Amino acid sequence: MTHTRTTSTRTTGTCTLGEMMIGAIARTIEDGTLAFHGYGSPLVQLALHVAKRTHAPNLVLVAGATYAVDPTPPFLSPTSNDWVMDRGAALSLDIEELFDLAAAGRMGRMFLSGLQIDRWGGCNVTSLGRDKLAMKLPGGGGGCNLSCDVDRVTLWTTGHGSAPDASGRRRHRLVEACDFVTSLGHRGVDGRDRRALGHRGRGPQWIVTDLGVFDFDAEGHARLCAVHPDVSIDDVRANTGFELRLADTVAQVPPPDRDTLALIRRLDPLNVHEHEIQARDRDRRFDA
Amino acid sequence: MSARQAIDGGAGRVETRADKRLGLDDLAAMVADGDVVAVGGGLSSREPMAILRAMLRRGVRDLRVVGSAHGIDVDLLCGAGAVSASSESYVGFEQDFGIAPNYRRACEEGAVRVDDSCCYTVVQQLRAAVQGLPFMPMRSARGTGFPGLHPEYKTMICPYTGEELLLVPALVPDVAILHAQYGDAHGNLRIEGPPVLDRLFAKASRRVVASVEQIVPTERLVELGGVTIPYFYVTAVAEVPMGAHPTACYPFYGYDRPHTADYYAAARGGRERFAADYLAPFVHGCADHAAYRRRIGGEETDRRLASWSTGTEAWMSLYREAVDA
Repeated sequence: MTHTRTTSTRTTGTCTLGEMMIGAIARTIEDGTLAFHGYGSPLVQLALHVAKRTHAPNLVLVAGATYAVDPTPPFLSPTSNDWVMDRGAALSLDIEELFDLAAAGRMGRMFLSGLQIDRWGGCNVTSLGRDKLAMKLPGGGGGCNLSCDVDRVTLWTTGHGSAPDASGRRRHRLVEACDFVTSLGHRGVDGRDRRALGHRGRGPQWIVTDLGVFDFDAEGHARLCAVHPDVSIDDVRANTGFELRLADTVAQVPPPDRDTLALIRRLDPLNVHEHEIQARDRDRRFDA
Repeated sequence: MSARQAIDGGAGRVETRADKRLGLDDLAAMVADGDVVAVGGGLSSREPMAILRAMLRRGVRDLRVVGSAHGIDVDLLCGAGAVSASSESYVGFEQDFGIAPNYRRACEEGAVRVDDSCCYTVVQQLRAAVQGLPFMPMRSARGTGFPGLHPEYKTMICPYTGEELLLVPALVPDVAILHAQYGDAHGNLRIEGPPVLDRLFAKASRRVVASVEQIVPTERLVELGGVTIPYFYVTAVAEVPMGAHPTACYPFYGYDRPHTADYYAAARGGRERFAADYLAPFVHGCADHAAYRRRIGGEETDRRLASWSTGTEAWMSLYREAVDA
């Protein structure tokens, strides 16, 4: 832990990093909107179910892969296109209708991630290497289209913190520029301001990470606005590949309350979401 | 092939034969080297795995795969050297196991041309084919890396609103390969649960080959809730129980996670290990699907994967086992 963060890591407390992140993602979800999670994203799936059962009862929750509307899965399955995930739903959409909702401006929030996230909130899940393919990534699913069409986007990553290699260099998750722009942030690949492109969506609004939370300034640049209780601003700076911008005040990410913690554990009895957390972060604990 | 020919080929076809029933190997033989292939299902559900294995036993090569969210299906085709280009939107094992090892290796070695797409882009391209149109417009994808990867995308200024739109050309797969829960002799298909792109694939493609868990009388299909894909799109159908294994085909069986973990470990071990530990025992070493079913554990495996329906605890226990991959 100390190789990543300069502050000491608490291993007492009852709340895990995954639960901190689920709480933080849930707080980005408004009531009375239609929100959609993709696949391979249990933290986001849980955040949506938490939001709907706490502060956002009128949320229209559309599940990724099954396109079930307002499902109540008995547990989280390890893969997303599983009948577990559409139990309790009165209906499911087909793929055309799901993406049409976004294209027509009806989708209020979506969640995207990347192996690279640039300072404008663009993400890369397609490939590493600019001139020559160095690493093929899985691809973005519908993220490219949705990053343009959905009103608001919450980005998240569990790989912000990275250990330096033998020469002291870190392979950053948050980078100056993506090798390939799979999903659009506030700048296009040619540097054009997103607003000039005439998309429905207004772009990324938050980045929730294993180190803290960013919002975006008026220019559309990511700006650190909160850190987890065991993380310092210098930790974030050391783990960020672009020049760190700070909000006027940098708060501490609040933990979810005890009822929310109990809810998360009830929703995910197999602890599927822990697969998303880096091994080195699985023993971090916070007071709830 | 010109765009015009491609569109006529997709939209002009009507399959009227009264009896479309054939064997699994007959279906596999309808996929030719070099075909643009649309594989049905998605992620860990309803992948037409038995047809894919039969294709690999025949030594099919040079496929271009198109689609949305895929996993072991496309990874297996890549691991067997059958793919030369991928226009999938996603190929992976989600957070459960991670990156698709064979797909990644084939792309990085240059055996598979990286031609990635995105779900709604594919939807719009298939819709153009279904409607017999040369292209469909959309707003999204402008500003991302995809137009740079796809010079066939064009932009236009909308004559009504003056806004810039992206045009994506009709996509007509040579063959759609599907697995459904139910079908009838005529080729009507009933899909339960998420249809993913299967309906669009069936309407847009030149040929449609489908395996089903059960072939039932047409009246039974209606009783079960109706037809998802009408017979006149479907070229041939075969009854292949456990035809989606190791992906799920509810309500018959859930996702075989331990088998997938073994697959993943073999794939991650490199090309030779994958050939020895997976392709040999489960693909080339099985003369037919019956042999495959015996190899994966026969009735005991059938019972284990069917046990999901007995209750939440049983369903969870399918995923509780520790797997190391």
